[in-house]
Amino acid sequence: MSTQPLLSIPLCERLLSAAMERGADFAEVYVERNEFTAVTLEEDKVKSAQNGLSQGVGVRVISGPRVGYAYSDDLDDEALFRAARTAAFIANGGGSEKAYGVSRVAQSDRYALATHLADVQVAKKRDLLLRANSTARAYDPRVKQVMCTWADSTKRILIANTRGLLAEDTQDMCRISTMVVVEGANDERRTGSYGGGGRVAFEHFDTFTPERVATEAARQAISCLGAEEAEAGQQTVVLAPGWSGILLHEAVGHGLEADFIRKGTSLFAGKLGQKVASDLVTVIDDGTIPNARGSLNIDDEGHAGEHKVLIENGELKGYMFDSLNADLMGQRTTGSGRRESFKHLPMPRMTNTYLAPGRDTPDDIVKSVDKGIYCANFGGGQVDITNGNFVFEVSEAYALEGGKLGRPLKGVTLIGVGPEALKNVTRVGNDPRHDPGMGTCGKDGQSVPVGVGLPTLRIDNMTVGGTKVRR
Amino acid sequence: MTEKRAALAKAVMERALRSGADQAEVFLQVGRSADVRVRDGEIEDLTQATSKGLGLRVFVKNRLGFVWTSDFSESALDAIVSRAVSLAEVSADNPDNGLPDPTSLGKLPDVGPLFDQRVADLPPDWKIKASIEMEKVIKSFDPRIKTIDSVGAGESVSEVYLASSAGMHGSYEGTSVYLYASPVATDGTQLQTSYWYDAKRFFEDLLSPEEVAKKAAARAVRLLGAKKIKTQKLPVVFDPTMAAGFVSSIAGAMNGDAVFKRASFLASKLGQKIAPDHFTLVDDGLWARGLATSPFDGEGVPTRTTPLVEKGVLKAFLYDSFTARKAKTKTTGNASRGYRSLPGIGVNNLTLTPGTKSPEEILKEIPRGLYVTAMLGHGANTITGDYSRGANGLLIENGELTQAVQEVTVGGNLNDMLMQLDAIGNDLHFHGATGASTIRFKELTVSGE
Repeated sequence: MSTQPLLSIPLCERLLSAAMERGADFAEVYVERNEFTAVTLEEDKVKSAQNGLSQGVGVRVISGPRVGYAYSDDLDDEALFRAARTAAFIANGGGSEKAYGVSRVAQSDRYALATHLADVQVAKKRDLLLRANSTARAYDPRVKQVMCTWADSTKRILIANTRGLLAEDTQDMCRISTMVVVEGANDERRTGSYGGGGRVAFEHFDTFTPERVATEAARQAISCLGAEEAEAGQQTVVLAPGWSGILLHEAVGHGLEADFIRKGTSLFAGKLGQKVASDLVTVIDDGTIPNARGSLNIDDEGHAGEHKVLIENGELKGYMFDSLNADLMGQRTTGSGRRESFKHLPMPRMTNTYLAPGRDTPDDIVKSVDKGIYCANFGGGQVDITNGNFVFEVSEAYALEGGKLGRPLKGVTLIGVGPEALKNVTRVGNDPRHDPGMGTCGKDGQSVPVGVGLPTLRIDNMTVGGTKVRR
Repeated sequence: MTEKRAALAKAVMERALRSGADQAEVFLQVGRSADVRVRDGEIEDLTQATSKGLGLRVFVKNRLGFVWTSDFSESALDAIVSRAVSLAEVSADNPDNGLPDPTSLGKLPDVGPLFDQRVADLPPDWKIKASIEMEKVIKSFDPRIKTIDSVGAGESVSEVYLASSAGMHGSYEGTSVYLYASPVATDGTQLQTSYWYDAKRFFEDLLSPEEVAKKAAARAVRLLGAKKIKTQKLPVVFDPTMAAGFVSSIAGAMNGDAVFKRASFLASKLGQKIAPDHFTLVDDGLWARGLATSPFDGEGVPTRTTPLVEKGVLKAFLYDSFTARKAKTKTTGNASRGYRSLPGIGVNNLTLTPGTKSPEEILKEIPRGLYVTAMLGHGANTITGDYSRGANGLLIENGELTQAVQEVTVGGNLNDMLMQLDAIGNDLHFHGATGASTIRFKELTVSGE
């Protein structure tokens, strides 16, 4: 890994001048170099080992509410200045030649690694997959397919803007995952998957071992064999801690992103200070957690990642801002401006979003439910920001009867409207947990790594999508 | 430029052979794109870009190594060639590995024109004007439309070059142009959104901005006042965009790799009746002017038309050359990829053959049912066949669309759903590269209150 700046600072400054030549309010240069490694294993064989390099520059120019953006993966002067002038197109004031200087600001270090992941031998990464595969295969003879993947990236970014900001960061990230397909009697197939990682050193996998990952994936799949159809309709649900935080991410998180608020397309717009959830609910978005998948020393606009209380004891406290929406709304950025790569404009996004712990023990929560569903694991989820409708696939679910976990259920989805579901939160566990580091969030076609977290949670009157109609 | 890039692809491929690869292949893409969004009659954002990249796949004694880069400098290319060869040492020796067999290569089909000079030459002004027009039409469509999530237009030009030591050298160039709008309607208590877009290779095939805007606005407004309904079994109708999503899920279960791993609910159904007689599903890589039409696939195999389901009988699965060798069959020319990824199995222009009934006739026959216009979630599991997705739409009462519905799920099992598919409309619509019409399921579980 070279420690040279990605682009010379004087060149960045000259690009800023070129980008401002039509008299815009603001210009920014974003430079990125990202090195990826991936290994895949299936059918007992290491299928491929891959390596990729992506680099480029994006120039953004803002003039009033208008944004011009141009990017290039050629880094020669001609391509860079063409990008700067193309982005400047949206401004139409008369410009004059003006110089812009930038200087570094102090920043935190939340995920410094002694050895960057790009510099760890590929064979070591492969060996983790071989171990995961043999563990999953040995777990149960009904395990028929095991697919394991390793993916890491070491991303360097540099941001310079006409407000004098210069910021750089190196962001390592990795994830191991295992997916298992099992076959039971009568051709019944079930799947299980598990994985994790984060902005962590390779040594993380000495404790978060491939054996642990594979065992959990296989356990999920085997547990779901013989699952019965779930009863459709309104029910009480209990969510297991950790990854279930995806529900929070979808059900409220997205609706608190400032772009939707400014455009008035989120149902949380104009509700600051109002009650939007049960008293038991406090929601935090925290970009400062050491080594977490969603953490940021700086966001993709060069601002420090922050700890933000979004909802406190049920009351809406704040939104997540990038600098564009903050400026247009007279607010300050919360370090939430993120982008997938130099090919994308930044927008307000979540980092690590979690629900603060409550007072009940997980046992007491389970015991409190006479009839309902225990949601042990989730697949994916999606939200319609505008009407607040969200949907989640529950990949591992059990019937709850008389305060006890019963038979596994299949085809369970949860559906609701964000604030209504949060008003129906009746018990919050004292067992806060973050997910193991496997979340990726998609918005407007851009994917960014995120973390989620939740203690055990009871929600009443949740609509459960199933296939069995109650008689 | 074209010849220079073809020569570069070939040079990198040959360099890999000299560096120890037994087989090598370069997939090189170059493109440019532009997109505009407007708000309140002004540009909201305007993005222009150029991009390029190449992926190098090598086999060393049946071991696979893969590298990609967007840096075409001499030193970067040198580095990736040696890295590809050393990465191969990390993967397994697998006799099924390799480039396509010579017998599966050969003459490329005539797919007709894919490139429109008019799209390539579109000035930024056109995008701005078209977007502003859409915004105006939407705002005057109904007073209940108060804001717009986004409205915009764009185009892209892309070139693909392939050089393979299996003896295949080819290239093609294509264009696409699109309009999109997602208005938000409110009645004071509820916000509802919908969207419409149109994407085509040729400018003259594109819907007018007015048509796109009206369609988007009407779809948002009619969802106002949406309510949950009781849990019940009902006839369910999917509009053509939802039907496109449904047939894409079904085609996912026809992925030859999933079938080989028995990770598909259709794995054991080849030659069997899986749907009623009126159900015919084709993957048409040659569809004239289709967005997914190309002369060859991601590893240089000629593209073709593959009937997947004919009159309800499952006829074929989709393969690339690696999976075909594993499954002891032939590639169907369905290796899909970008330069950053290895070939994987994907559909081209997936098309559900239209039926004879109009959508109105299909609705008329339903005393009470659900018409679905939007879905949420990814709940179509092609391994187990379990299906459960969030649905928004309208209630059907006595053959007419009435009350808006939200916060319900539609569920079933894909096997049963296919057999329950009792009507297909004559209103074929391409949603991107997937073509489908209005479809009706005799009875599905709708979960609500």
